[in-house]
Order: sequence, then structure tokens, then C-alpha cells
Amino acid sequence: MTTIRRFCCNDLLRFTNVNLDHLTETFNMSFYMTYLARWPDYFHLAQGPGNHIMGYIMGKVEGQGESWHGHVTAVTVAPDYRRQQLAKKLMNLLEDISDNIDKAYFVDLFVRASNAPAIKMYEKLGYVIYRRVLRYYSGEEDGLDMRKALSRDVDKKSVIPLKRPVTPDELEYD
Amino acid sequence: MASKFGFAGGIPERKVRPIWDAIDSRQFKNALKHVTTLLAKHPNSPYVLALKALVLERMGKIDDASAVSLTAKENLFSNDLLSMDDLTLSTLQIVFQRLDRLDLATECYEHACGKFPNKMELMMGLFNCYVREYSFVKQQQTAIKMYKLAGEEKYLLWSVCSIHLQVLCGNGGDKLLVLAEGLLKKHVASHSLHEPEALMVYISILEQQAKFGDALEILSGKLGSLLTINVDKLRMQGRLLALAGDYTAAADIFHKILESCPDDWEGFLHYLGCLLEDGSIWCDEAVNDPVHPPKFVSCKVSHLTDEQFDSRISIASAFIRKLQTDTVDNSVRGPYLATIEIERRRHLRGKGNDNNLMDGIVQYFCRFGHLGCFTSDVEMFFEVFTTDKKAELSEKLMKINDTLSTPPTKTLGLSISLFKIKQQLLLGDMFNSSANDVEVSCVQMFEMYCKNIPLSKDLDPQESMHGEELLSITSNILVQLFWRTKNVGYLVEAVMVLEFGLSIRRYVSQYKILLLHLYCHFGALSVAHEWYKSLDVKNILMESMLHHILPQMLVSPLWTELNSLLKDYLKFMDDHFRESADLTFLAYHHKNYSKIIEFVQFKDRLQRSSQYLVTRVETPILQLKQNADNIEDEEGILQSMKCGVDFLELSNEIGSKSLTFNEDLESRPWWTPTVEKNYLLGPFQGISYCPKEILTKERETSLKREIEKKSLLPRMIYLSIQSASLSIKEHVEVNGSVKPDITLELKLLLERFSQFLGFSLSEAIEVVKGSFSNGERSVVSDSNLIDWLNFTVFLNAWNLSSRELVHPDRNEGRPIIWNILDSLLERYILENVRSMEPQLCSPCSKVQLLMQLVTEPLAWHGLVIQSCLRSCLPSSKKKKKSGSAYQSSSNLAHAITESVQQLSLVLEGVIKQISESNRRPEDENSDGILSLLRKDEHNDGPGRVFHVLETFISSMSNAEVGDRIYHSLKSWSPADVARKMMTGKLKVLTAFSAICESKLKLLQSLKQQIAQV
Ligand SMILES: CC(C)(COP(=O)(O)OP(=O)(O)OC[C@H]1O[C@@H](n2cnc3c(N)ncnc32)[C@H](O)[C@@H]1OP(=O)(O)O)[C@@H](O)C(=O)NCCC(=O)NCCS
Repeated sequence: MTTIRRFCCNDLLRFTNVNLDHLTETFNMSFYMTYLARWPDYFHLAQGPGNHIMGYIMGKVEGQGESWHGHVTAVTVAPDYRRQQLAKKLMNLLEDISDNIDKAYFVDLFVRASNAPAIKMYEKLGYVIYRRVLRYYSGEEDGLDMRKALSRDVDKKSVIPLKRPVTPDELEYD
Repeated sequence: MASKFGFAGGIPERKVRPIWDAIDSRQFKNALKHVTTLLAKHPNSPYVLALKALVLERMGKIDDASAVSLTAKENLFSNDLLSMDDLTLSTLQIVFQRLDRLDLATECYEHACGKFPNKMELMMGLFNCYVREYSFVKQQQTAIKMYKLAGEEKYLLWSVCSIHLQVLCGNGGDKLLVLAEGLLKKHVASHSLHEPEALMVYISILEQQAKFGDALEILSGKLGSLLTINVDKLRMQGRLLALAGDYTAAADIFHKILESCPDDWEGFLHYLGCLLEDGSIWCDEAVNDPVHPPKFVSCKVSHLTDEQFDSRISIASAFIRKLQTDTVDNSVRGPYLATIEIERRRHLRGKGNDNNLMDGIVQYFCRFGHLGCFTSDVEMFFEVFTTDKKAELSEKLMKINDTLSTPPTKTLGLSISLFKIKQQLLLGDMFNSSANDVEVSCVQMFEMYCKNIPLSKDLDPQESMHGEELLSITSNILVQLFWRTKNVGYLVEAVMVLEFGLSIRRYVSQYKILLLHLYCHFGALSVAHEWYKSLDVKNILMESMLHHILPQMLVSPLWTELNSLLKDYLKFMDDHFRESADLTFLAYHHKNYSKIIEFVQFKDRLQRSSQYLVTRVETPILQLKQNADNIEDEEGILQSMKCGVDFLELSNEIGSKSLTFNEDLESRPWWTPTVEKNYLLGPFQGISYCPKEILTKERETSLKREIEKKSLLPRMIYLSIQSASLSIKEHVEVNGSVKPDITLELKLLLERFSQFLGFSLSEAIEVVKGSFSNGERSVVSDSNLIDWLNFTVFLNAWNLSSRELVHPDRNEGRPIIWNILDSLLERYILENVRSMEPQLCSPCSKVQLLMQLVTEPLAWHGLVIQSCLRSCLPSSKKKKKSGSAYQSSSNLAHAITESVQQLSLVLEGVIKQISESNRRPEDENSDGILSLLRKDEHNDGPGRVFHVLETFISSMSNAEVGDRIYHSLKSWSPADVARKMMTGKLKVLTAFSAICESKLKLLQSLKQQIAQV
């Protein structure tokens, strides 16, 4: 039961039930505001009956040439609303915008190698592990760079997995 | 003019590059060396000077940086045009911004733009300066100039947004909107629009003027195609139509939205509202606080005739039925909940019937009852029922639940929903049942949790377990049982249940929050603080979550922890206030105009945050408390806060501010719905006594008074110290220069302070003279005791330098107020020491009061004493000459001696009491805690749940619950929890004791000083 709309500043004061989750990072203000100021169409919120906040997705679009791509910075759903296809809906929305409006080649994201539920979900949604990023999270945990090709990448070149892992300083974008 | 990088002020790039490189790599010393060399060659270059200032600022040499940057500015103004390039200006801008002198940066750009009126680059810089200063009018003027020069849509919109800001966040009148509209119209006619956000701004300018028709026309025209997300466009159209009163067309639009997204709940509410021609949902939007939107849809009684109403409702029902059959995805709840909402509307119209509404809920339960969100989905419908009907519904749900056959996880989900309904929504019912029945259901829930652990054994530890909520409900009910019976064992049991749950999975934030409050209630604040930290509350979450711990910490002796809470929070807020404008500029730059107003309003909201203002006052007060045992240190602190003058300003302003409340109160436990309330401290009144709605207006009024009062303290402390030393000098220097302004100001502040006590100054003085009674009646209570004593301390200090109060006893011992103050301090401190129960599970409120008594009035009085002594005792240098001052003011000398003596005894009493409660071995104490849970033969009272818990742990098997859970439970011990509770409590007392010892040490050193005279 979801109304999906653009995320706005006031929602930052209402998303505690979502952000108290230990896998959901609470970023600093300039981080959120930069996303809002630059990619407002990539930051959406799902709200349910009784004005309860159910979850949100935050992302951006960037890159040069054939690596022009959508990026999922965070997607999270409050525990009470999980396993109801909400994350899927939010991901599909971001993919649609990347594909149809911004004509990106692919969508990518980073996930903690230990976050099994999320990895399973991304796989279910058609993402493949493109490469492993060593010690991506605070120099400790590895991250997985997962990708899904969009319609513009006809040959699906963007998602051919790399053979070897990379280190964070080899990443093109942060 | 050379403005390309590398030729700023005519200096070649290769000379400047090493400086920037060094700055970027934070090698400031190195950078300074380079700058100095370069400066030798170009001593007057504003650019090089600006660089030097930047380096100095980064090195922390603020004063030097200031001076150099001012020289740079002067040179810039006096110099020829050569140095007026953007690089110089932007470097200076950075420096001035870091030095918190935005005005100077603006002056530079204004000057430059005056010299080169047509340079876009400079105008952009100037616009940016105005954005940083929130000067909306000047922003507008600059943007218009840029628009005229470049003709770009972007600059027009900058100007329009600046106008809109004047109307929404400044004091511009609505008439300005006509101007904005005119600008847009003209531009559209000649150039059309090209950015979706530009269109959104245009629409909102029209909407704000209630020109809905015009807005609709534009949306449906060519420009409408700019909006690429179709549903956004439809929502906009629907809203405008509804606002224009064209409900039929609006309903059609929302119909379309629902067809494409049947699950859009808000879309459905809008649809129904339009069908019934009820626009209240849009009116509410404007009135309600966006951070705390209402849970319930308010609706007006429709003006439709009965037939009309019926026919509209049946249209809605038919449509919803169609949506239900068309939707294949069975996780879509919208259309099913919609049926209930339609029934509710009927009900509100007086045409409904309770049974239909109940049936709707029952059916919804059958379909979605297993989901975690079931209760919050349907809670809004319960309002409609009477208590009896609620009970009936609960019966019905239970009956139907027995007939459902579902897989185990769903069965569990359904039972949890039932429990939640009973507990959260039909609370009154629960309290009609006997304590025993309540306890039985509590045990059932806990057993259900244990029985279902095996369902989760293969889950990833990151994932929520099945049935997690059962433990929160169990502990909530145990707390209710405590409130009802006052048997503290129930509280301990609640703690055990939650700790048990966290040992199984340590990520459940709901448990942590409940535990945090329970530990606070026991006075084991350090443990509460640990749990708070484990929630990892940071950044903006501090604004919504700090309230869980801050109020308790403010009255605790855990100063280090408190200090870091306050510092982290203030840093976050202040960083935001500093950065916010730059991010707003980013939105201008990326043409996301709708975010501009949002950002400015959000910053404003945070600046008026009640919690922020409280923290701003409490931070200096904490510093003053921490340094009160050394008058020199204290004076240093006072100097650093301009002797309290800024806080006086805050005190004067606060009345006219409107505060915002941004706490997430929903996350608080039921027994303390706001910071100010804690039902457990009062008698049991039945759960219906706990109102859910929060009276924000009342909170605002009382909070403002509190801030107004507290922010007087730093200044009053400062003046008291001054006044005390003045009194001695008066004695010494006959005809010396008495500074009446100190005395006078203190008197004015005393007058203000007395108003907070509810009296005029002269009345309040009488009350003090009567030892806090007004005639026969005592005027003090736990809630105003600290204020009265603080007042007495300041009154005494004022009395020392003023001659207004007559001293009938001038030559017979201590001055009267001083005398009274000492005995009041003694009386109240000892009274509270005595009532500090040895009972370890007693709530901590007495200790809190005691702590405040020692760290506030007693500490401030200590400063007055230190100040007196310092002025009349010979300082080591001029020992020989003086020495007489002390004797010459013999009343005072007497007072000081007596005071020091008396207060020492009081403090010794406190310390003794604390060490007695600390002396009992921990084990004995924690055994005591556990024994509260051991059942006696009568089987009455707490312990039943705990018994199930212990049995479960001892009988569970590895195969059943899985390795991970098995091992974490095997290594968990209730005795450890009891010990933790004890040590937590002792830690607080020990910290308090340390504070007392430090004060005692001070008094002893004062005694020695006196003795040496
Ligand atoms: C990961 C997360 C976003 C999933 O949200 P969700 O709304 O429950 O996911 P959906 O219901 O849309 O799941 C879609 C599909 O993904 C898969 N999936 C989702 N969660 C899963 C889990 N815990 N285990 C296995 N598969 C899972 C399923 O195949 C699911 O479809 P199904 O339910 O029909 O089998 C949510 O669990 C969450 O917020 N976790 C914490 C934050 C986080 O880890 N975010 C990701 C890192 S940025």
C-alpha cells in the first residue's frame, strides 16, 4: 500500500523507523542534500496508510560515454514492510528513470559481501556480481559491485564480470 | 584583465600551484613558506594575501588570518582593476566564510561588480554571496541583471525563486507573486520553458495565488510534457482540479492513477475525497506540521444529498472491487483496505453499520493479518468503535483466527497481530481483566516466542526473526503490571525478557529503546547510555532520537558522556547551518528549483528546533558546573561566553520565536509518551489515562519559559561572583569606586527570575526570609526547589554588594540571607540523602534531585564564597601590606567560616551515604535482584515469565534452535544482567560521589586559607 513520491528534507526527520536498521547508514546532511539538489528524481520515498514511512531509495546518475549509468546508493525498507515487493518496486522505478529518461547503459550498486539477504534480492532482480571491491567498507569489509544492463547496452557489455577483484582506489566513481 | 587560473592578479600559475597543493595535502607550514616567499615579490597582491590568510586560518591562527584578509580586502579596493579577478575573489570568499564574515566577502564582490558591471562570472559570485546571507531581495536583483544580460531561463528562475523565498521565508507580501508570475509569463511567451523544475515553480507560483485554472491550462498544454514522470503530473492535475472545486474531473484523474497503481493509498484517499466532494485532505496539508502528519484522514460531513452520497459510494465500491479482481499480485493491500475506508465513510455519514465495518476488518485480517504492518494499517478504523464494539471485534478476530489454517510463520504472524490489537488498540479492555489474567497472556506470548525460535534457526543473523515483536509486547505488559502493582520485580522481569531477546539477535532497536528507558528508571544510567550508543544514532537521527537519553543525562553526574552527547549534536547542527546555503546554491546551479525553498525552510526549521535551543543553553551550564570548584577556571569559562551576555539575548528573544518539535515520539515507550511525562512515577490510573495525543502548544509554552529562565543563569553566576568581590572591596576601600551597574543589573535579573517563581522580587525575598514559606504554606516542591535555591544564592550575592536590604543583625554573626541559604541547603540536601533508599531497584528521581542540589545551588554558592575569600585574603604577593580585609569585614568573615564548615559537613554526609550503598558486595545486590523473580509457593507476583525463560534455556537443544542461537543463549546469564544493572547504578553513584569529594576538597582548602589569616 504504497504511495511513492519524491523524498524531501522533512522526511529526514520521519525516517527513524527505517534508519535504525543496522544495515542502513545515516549519512551526513550535505550528502543527502547533494543528492536532493542534483538528482531529485533518484530519491524516492514509499509511504503507507496512516502516513507511515515504509522505505526509500536514493541514487544518482553519472559517468562518461558507455559508463553513463544509474547508481543505487541506498535502498531500505522498514522491517514491518519487508517481503512485500517494496524494494523491488523502488528499484524498478530507479531503473526506469535511468533507462527511459536518462538513457543510461546500466545500473550499479555496492553491497556488503556479508549482506546475504540484500545480495539475494539483487540477484532476483537481475543484478550480477560485476566485481569484488576489496575492503570497500571502512577499509574492513569487502563490497560487491553489482550491475544490471539497461536497454541501451544492447550487447550487455557492461555486465561481463571482471576476473579479478579491485581496490577502492581503482574505482571510477565513489 | 587576466582572470584565468594561474594569472590571478598577474601571478603565473606555476608560482601558485605549490601553495594550493600544500593546502590540499594539509601541509600548512609548507604552504606558509611558499606564500611568504611569493609575498616578498608581490607584497600588495590581494590574491597572495588571501592565500596567506587562508593558510593561517587553516593553521588555527584566526586573529592573524583576520588581519591579513582585511589587508587583502583593502588592497583589492584601492588597487587598480588588475586584481579584480574571480580567483582572487573566490579565495577571499573562502577565507571570509571560514572566518564567519560573510558580509566582508559580499562587500568584495559588490565592489568588483560595481567596477565590472557586465561580468557574468563576478555576478554569479555575488549571487552566491547573497544566497549565503539569505538576502532574498538582493538575490532577486542580481539574478534579474544576469537574466537581462544572458537571457537564460536559469537566471530568470533564480530570480523567481528569490521572489518566492521573500514571500515564504521572508517578509515579502503575496503581491510579489504577481511580479514572479509576470516575469515567467513573458519569458514563456518568447522562449517557452525547458526544464521540468521550471514548470513546477511556475505551477506553484500560480497555485499559491489560487490561480488553479491557469495552472491547469499550462499543465495540459505543451509545457505539460516537460514532466516526465507521468504519475507526478497526474497528481498535480488532480490536486489543482480539487482545489479549484472541480471534483468530478479530479476524481477522474485519481481514477486513472489508481488504475495504473492500485496500491497508491494516498491516491485512493484523494479519489474518495473527490467523489464525496470533500477537500479537507488538501486543507489539512496546509495546516499540519509536515513532520508529524496525522495518522487519520479527517473528513467533513458531506454536503451531498443521501441519494448522491449513496450513488458515489457505490461507484467507489464498484471501482475498488474491479481493482481487486484485476490485481494479480496478492501482496497488494490497497484495494482491500479501501473497502474498509469506504465503510468508514458510510459510518461517519450515519449510514454505516458496525458489523459491516467489522467484517471488512476481519476479512482484511484473513488476507493480511500475518503481516507486521497489519495493525498500523487498520488502527485508524478503531476510532469509530465504542469500547464494547472494540471488544466484540477482538472476539471476532480471535474466532476467525482459530479457523484459519496457514503455514507456521503465517500463524505466528496472525497471533502477533491479535496480541497487538489487544494490547495497543484495546488497552482499556486489558485493564478490566485481573492482573492474573494479564499475566497469563504475558506468559503465553513469551512461550509462543520461544516455541517459534526454531522457525528462524536458518535465517541470516542480519534478518529479523519471526516473532520478534512478541518480546516487546511481553515487556510492555510487564511494565504495565509494575505500574499496577508497584512490584518492581515486574520491571526486572521486563529487562530480562529484552536482554534475553538481544542475546539471541543483537540488532533489534525496538528492544534497545525499551531497555534504555527501563535502565534509566532504575538509575542505571550508564547502562542506558551504552544501549543508546549501540543504536548508532548519528547525524540527523540525533535530532529525532536524542530525546531518549538527553533529559536523563542532563541531571546525571555522567558529565563526560553528557558532554560528548551535547558536543556531537551541536556540531552536527552548526555544521548544517554553515553548509546549508552552499547546498542551496548547488540546487540553483543544477536547476532543481523546487529544492531551494525546501532547503531554506528546512534550515529554518532546525534553527528553531526546541531540542537545539535547549542544548545551546545546557552546554554552557554544564561547563559552568564542571568548573565551579575553581573560580579562576570558572571565570575563564565565563569570559569565553562573553560573561553570559549572548545567553541573555537568547533569553530575551525566545518568547517571540516559534519552536519546532522534531522528536520522533512514536518511538518512545508507552509509559513516557513525551520527555516531560512518566506515568510510572505516578499512581496507577488505568491505561485509558495515558493520552496518546501530544499537546505541542503546551509543550512549547513551558519549554520556552524553561529556556528563558535557564539562559539567565550564566549571566547571574557571573554577576554574583562580581558582586561578592565588590562587597569586600567596599569594605576595604573606603569611598572606593563601587560599581553600581553590577548590583543594579543583578537586581534586574533577580526580578526577572522571581517571576519564574511566580512572585515579585520583594515577595520572593519574603519567601526566602521565611525559609521558603509564604505565611504558613511552603512554596517549594521537587519541581521548583532548584530554582528557589538558585534564586537564594543569587539574592545573597546581590545582597552583599547592595545596601538595599536592611541588616537588623549587622553585627551579630552572619548576614541573614546567607544564614538562611546555608541552612536551606543543608536541610534539603540532607532530607534527600535520607530518602535515598538503600533499595537498589528504587527509581532514581531522588538521586537526581540531590545531584542537582549539589551541582547547581551549592556549586554557585561555592563560587560566591570563593570570590569573597579571594578579595579579602591577602594574595601571596602583597601579603605584608594587607591581611586586614578579612578581619575588617567581620560579619562576612564569620559567614564564610561558618558556611564552609556547615557545607563540609553536609557533603560529608552525602559521601558517607553513597559509600554505604556502594559497600554492599555486588553479588549480594544482584542476588537480591534475582530473588525478586523467584516464585514463592503462592505463585503471586512477578517471575512467571522468567520461569519460562529459564526452563527454555535449560531445555533447548542445539538441533532445535540452531548452533548460533544455542551458543549465544548458553553463554547468557540472568545473573550477569542483574550485576550489570547494579554496577550501572553504582557507577552513577560513584561519579556523583567524586563530584562531592571534589567540592569537599575545595571547602577544605578554603578552610586552610582562612586558618592562615
Ligand atoms: C534488502 C531489503 C531492502 C529488501 O526489501 P524488501 O522490500 O523486503 O524486498 P522485496 O520484497 O522487494 O524483495 C524482492 C525479492 O528479493 C528477494 N529477497 C528480498 N529479501 C530477501 C531475503 N531477506 N532473503 C532472501 N531473498 C530476499 C526475494 O526473492 C524477493 O521476492 P519474493 O519475496 O517474492 O521471494 C530489506 O531487507 C532492507 O531494507 N534491508 C536493510 C537495508 C539493506 O540491507 N539494504 C541494502 C543495502 S543498501
